[in-house]
Amino acid sequence: MWPKTLKNAPGQGNYLEFLARRDKSVGAFLHVTGSIRQNGGAPSDSGADGGNTCLEGVPVAVKDNIAVEGMPLTCGSRILEPLVSPYSATAVERLERAGARVVGKTNLDEFGMGSSTETSALGETNNPWDVSRVAGGSSGGSAAAVAARMVPVALGSDTGGSIRQPAAFCGVYGLKPTYGTVSRHGLVAYASSLEVIGAAAESVDVLEAAYAAMSGSDVMDQSSLDHPVPPPDSGATRIGFLGGELGLSPEVAENYARFVEALGDAGYETEEIALSTLEYVVPAYYTIASAEASANLARFNGVRYGHRTDYSENPEELIRKSRTEGFGSEVKNRIVLGTYVLRSGFQDQYYLRAQKIRTLIRREIERAFAGVDLICSPVFPTQAFPHGSKEMDAFQQKVADRFTGTANLAAIPALTVPSGLAGGLPVGMQFMAPPFGEGRLFAAARTIGEIFPVEFPPGMEPPWAADRE
Amino acid sequence: MDSAELTTTIDMAMLELAPDESDTVQRSVSQMLDYFAVMAAAPVDGVEPTTHAFSTTNRTRPDTRNERSVADELLESAPDLEDRFIAIPNVL
Repeated sequence: MWPKTLKNAPGQGNYLEFLARRDKSVGAFLHVTGSIRQNGGAPSDSGADGGNTCLEGVPVAVKDNIAVEGMPLTCGSRILEPLVSPYSATAVERLERAGARVVGKTNLDEFGMGSSTETSALGETNNPWDVSRVAGGSSGGSAAAVAARMVPVALGSDTGGSIRQPAAFCGVYGLKPTYGTVSRHGLVAYASSLEVIGAAAESVDVLEAAYAAMSGSDVMDQSSLDHPVPPPDSGATRIGFLGGELGLSPEVAENYARFVEALGDAGYETEEIALSTLEYVVPAYYTIASAEASANLARFNGVRYGHRTDYSENPEELIRKSRTEGFGSEVKNRIVLGTYVLRSGFQDQYYLRAQKIRTLIRREIERAFAGVDLICSPVFPTQAFPHGSKEMDAFQQKVADRFTGTANLAAIPALTVPSGLAGGLPVGMQFMAPPFGEGRLFAAARTIGEIFPVEFPPGMEPPWAADRE
Repeated sequence: MDSAELTTTIDMAMLELAPDESDTVQRSVSQMLDYFAVMAAAPVDGVEPTTHAFSTTNRTRPDTRNERSVADELLESAPDLEDRFIAIPNVL
């Protein structure tokens, strides 16, 4: 349906009109291109890449912490509001080479710090299923753009669940690849050892095509990996599902039980598993993420780019004032927290201990995969919550990262799949696979997609079609 | 975290917070540190820390000339320029 959408110039104008119209109630985009970028997709290039022709002419949206040449790169922050990126991320370049067309930049929690897209300083994003609710975060704009059928696939970044959680809230697929398989060159760093570029998508096919186009080692990212392309995965037979007291809302608990039952109906052997390290996931994750954030965000100082304070007497005052004015409150919280856990005298107690716990988590995950092919768990304890929710405040949102954070700490791939509706809102479940097991995730998503097909919000079912507009 | 620790940490983070903002940060950070206390019970004796999941050795790229320079665009991004120099307040 989508392929070749933007190949013909006459169709492009009314596609952009469609985008502006549909985004009015959603607010997925911070920036929409005035004209469709064509530079990436020389036909000979896309042919040479092979196998990705289903991306030819397909519109993609890009989270606004991933660089696209000539477009803003705000990270949802006042401090980078004036910045226009002089180059494109490797992942974007590769997608464009496969024929995809970047149509705009999507909203996010400031620097990816949040689970609701509400910490963005530059715009509000609504859930397309219910505009009084959040789209999730931090890649809320990307997931909302896909759910509202503005694009079939949108890039995001996932540091502790930032693609998978909004994908669940919006009822679409969301992939967090194996760490290192997609170059981070051009992704504005927040927590370098945890984050990875991935995507939200309306179908497994387009998600797989986008992942295939983006992945591969890159000289510009020394943590990117040379690994052989795995053979097509014959799929999982044994799935371990996370059991015990998980602290889920009644709707998510009921949906999870039904999902596990459906796995059995689909022919998988299922067994309940427990992860003893689960209680340490969120503390270890936030210790490491905040520590890395405090270092990575030290570069934003008002000197070379971004926001600069109006007046200062000396360079140090310029830096302090620019940072204080430019960063939002959640970012300041995490910078101070990260600075604290790295201070001499506290480092062993927090940062070093968290790194050791990370080893325990990796080992436990390795052991778990000796017995099962995939691990299944909820994505988030609740469905999409209302804007400004008191119950789901900033602290509770962090605590709720317990199911998603494991994959980032263990560097393994994980995929959110839609699991039906409850009370008119989508629910999503998560599969985790051993490193480089993306093929196995896609295979399972296709199988379970027969039982839980992706659904779209009322009124937003039809995607753009040149002849209808 | 007490007020003295908070003040020192905010200073190290190159921020200057108004009193009400400082109170908010103190509450938020203290809440997280309390929450982190659970890590004390983790059996980590003799466990090696993981800094990066797959990194083994340092990888470098060839020291070759890049065909395209973005120097001008990068300079244009600066808030204040004098010719091709980035302008800041007096250092002395």
